[in-house]
Amino acid sequence: MLEKLETIRMSRAMSAHAAERAKLVAGNVANADTPGYLTRDLSPFAETYRSAGAPPMRATRPGHLEGAGTGGTDARMIEERGGQSPNGNSVSLEDEMVRTAEVKRQHDMSLAIYKSSLTMLRSALGRRG
Amino acid sequence: MDRVTSPTSIAASGMRAQADRLRHISENIANADTPGYRRKLVSFDAEMDRGRPSGLVEASAPRLDQSALTEIYDPAHPMANEHGFYDGSNVDLVVEIADAREASRSYEANLRVFEQSRQMSSSLLDLLRR
Repeated sequence: MLEKLETIRMSRAMSAHAAERAKLVAGNVANADTPGYLTRDLSPFAETYRSAGAPPMRATRPGHLEGAGTGGTDARMIEERGGQSPNGNSVSLEDEMVRTAEVKRQHDMSLAIYKSSLTMLRSALGRRG
Repeated sequence: MDRVTSPTSIAASGMRAQADRLRHISENIANADTPGYRRKLVSFDAEMDRGRPSGLVEASAPRLDQSALTEIYDPAHPMANEHGFYDGSNVDLVVEIADAREASRSYEANLRVFEQSRQMSSSLLDLLRR
């Protein structure tokens, strides 16, 4: 049961990572002609996922954000400098198309995992998934 | 996903900026034969949010191209000077067409991103539909 919950938590973190990355890719495409703009991306999910086993950050005051709790990612934003055009812009629309496909795949995968673990929980409860 | 910087609104800001650029290109083409017309140049600015680019983009205010106007020889023209020349525009149609192609290509890329982020949020909503 607990492993199932970890699966759900992981799929949630994965879809949050995909959403954040989709935002950056959209920004890259929107700024494809902006002078001086550098391509931005997130570090990959697999490298940055913190499992629920890792100790969470302690909130010593109620005002602290609990965003760094269990099941999050430590994804950092990366700026790429290579292949700049004369106006200092490093966005390549082709690379962005590849990224959008990756994001979509990751998002679909996280939803599929979430759905199937819910189905498993339901069948464990004796109802039909 | 907050409203201000969701992928759909970022893609929409990109499309708005490219459409703005395309509008100025068509103004340039329409005025290619207007005497004394200087072509308008549009650049883009990344919107900043606390020192970092928020992803949104906007077209900057148009600047006028200060390169030399073409001199056209036509002594019969009412604006011709004593040597028979008058100032045409500095619009180069080939440059404008190439610019228009680039703008429409970028517009389509933004449209693709918009479509995909719409699909992603609708598949998320499908989870609730059972």
